Amino acid sequence: MLAALQLSRRFTGPVAGVAIAVILVILLQANGFTSTLIVDMLVYAIVAMSLDFLGGYTGLISLGQAGFLGVGAYGVAIAEAHFYPPWAAVGVGLGAVLVLGLVLGVVAVRVKGISFVIITLAMGQVLWGLAFQWVGLSEGDNGIPVSILPSIGPYDLNNALTLRMTVLVVFAVVALLLITFTRSPFGLSLRGIRSNETRLAALGYRTGLHRYLAWVIAVFFTGVAGVLYVFVNGLISPTTMDFSANGFFVLMVVLGGLGSIWGPALGAVVIVLFQQELSIYLDRWQTLMGLTLIAVVLFSPGGLWGALRAAGRRRDALIARLQETS
Amino acid sequence: MPQFLAQTLNGLTLAGIIFLVSSGFTLVFGVMRVTNLSHGAVYLLGGYTGYSVIGATHNFFYGLVAAAVAMAVFGFLLERTLISWLHRSEMSELLATLGLIYVIDDIALAIWGGSPLTINLPGFLGKSSTLPLAGGIVYPNGRLFILAISVVVAVGLYALLRRTRVGAIIRAGVDDRDMVNALGINVRRVFSLVFTLGALLAGFAGVLGGTVLNLYTGGDSDILLFALAVVIVGGLGSYEGAILGSLVIGLVDNYGTAYFPSVAYSILFLPVIIVLLVKPRGLLGKAST
Repeated sequence: MLAALQLSRRFTGPVAGVAIAVILVILLQANGFTSTLIVDMLVYAIVAMSLDFLGGYTGLISLGQAGFLGVGAYGVAIAEAHFYPPWAAVGVGLGAVLVLGLVLGVVAVRVKGISFVIITLAMGQVLWGLAFQWVGLSEGDNGIPVSILPSIGPYDLNNALTLRMTVLVVFAVVALLLITFTRSPFGLSLRGIRSNETRLAALGYRTGLHRYLAWVIAVFFTGVAGVLYVFVNGLISPTTMDFSANGFFVLMVVLGGLGSIWGPALGAVVIVLFQQELSIYLDRWQTLMGLTLIAVVLFSPGGLWGALRAAGRRRDALIARLQETS
Repeated sequence: MPQFLAQTLNGLTLAGIIFLVSSGFTLVFGVMRVTNLSHGAVYLLGGYTGYSVIGATHNFFYGLVAAAVAMAVFGFLLERTLISWLHRSEMSELLATLGLIYVIDDIALAIWGGSPLTINLPGFLGKSSTLPLAGGIVYPNGRLFILAISVVVAVGLYALLRRTRVGAIIRAGVDDRDMVNALGINVRRVFSLVFTLGALLAGFAGVLGGTVLNLYTGGDSDILLFALAVVIVGGLGSYEGAILGSLVIGLVDNYGTAYFPSVAYSILFLPVIIVLLVKPRGLLGKAST
């Protein structure tokens, strides 16, 4: 019994990680509904994890994240519509979102807490408004299609399998980078900012700069997801970045568990299932989703990941008890 | 010139509607530190309620009163349940009211459908008059009616806040909530009152707004953005800030729509950015909030 529990403590994480990776690689081989669903989940998970990096670690919850996904996606689509070669279009998308993140960050990190939420919400709505109203640039409600994807030598994103694998790899890289950041001294300082910024500043940390960096990182990775999004879907339209889309990302993070990186990825999986599966059987799926968010806030502030962690802690406590008795 | 004048009046009308929504939002924040993101959804629900009551009774004013009362009851119940369960956790309240938006919107969609609805004003209010301005511009009476009502409500609220005991308690609550509590005043009742009042105004605004802006799914997030822009410009929690912010946002939005239609929605952001850079707490915001 004790040995089994100790094995579980040691290997659950790595084994689950490897198993999920293997399952994803296998499932992504075949064309069809399942692989499309998984790719959607992975793209949204990148956004959710970026949002969590900002919200869960620094306490800055952005309600405008879908806007930056839109900027990455529109950057690519508009560049391609102006006959830029595909790789250059990717550069335009990523460049646009990076510049925007750098500029808007100056405004955004001036405030914290509720004001930050409100301001990012306003930013997101404005970006949505541009996509919706600036028809000359964005084609308005119709959106812009993207049909030619980048390729170099034998590596060709126009090949569906290559594209799916690329999404998986980008997801893994972003996840590992974000995890690395959170465990670095920089990540520790971010957590310090969330719990007591004044104290951290008194210790000599440049907290404003750290918040700014966290913002730029989160915005940029969201833009990366935007580029993948437009390649996967072949179209970007204003609905992708409307108010309800912004809410969905926050929902993913809160449902998955703020401040855990993997939790929000799990949240993305659940929400995409809600959106694409449950909506087939249940007209009022949005009601159910809203109620889910309220229920999580009320009863399980740690989200799904928090519940898993709690189970892990119970196991560790059991190990400790068994060790004492033996 | 007449055209510009008409646009200015349109902007003032919009400012009136925005004021009715954002004054409740800002007072609730000021007194309770609750960011009620579902405030826009309450506006929309009020508009829809009014639409149905007007359809059943054929009386605009019944609809107006019914929507205001229904939303006041809704707000009261919301404060007594969800908001009080989550009390003292700002982010949880914000997230829970975000969830509530999906619920309200979805239920409204199920009941009233997805096509935009418009509320028609009755009789004289539905007609237009020639105004003795700039050589006589023809302007809808309904919009002047909205403008007049907003001014009356603004003055009434100001009197409530400045001239009554309840108002003094509310203002004191905005300044220092803990001290008000320590003085033995029942803060719970003040919270209920302010939240109910905010919802009442939002429902009321929904019916008035439904006569000039359409009622449609997603219309609530537009109104919410207006309210948020207003509180950033005016200062979160400040009543006078809500008046000033509403004027700025209403006029800017309307001039934007009239003269720069392709970026109208985004032009709203201009005053917001400027205020954030120059005075992050808003033009009339308190330093301590």
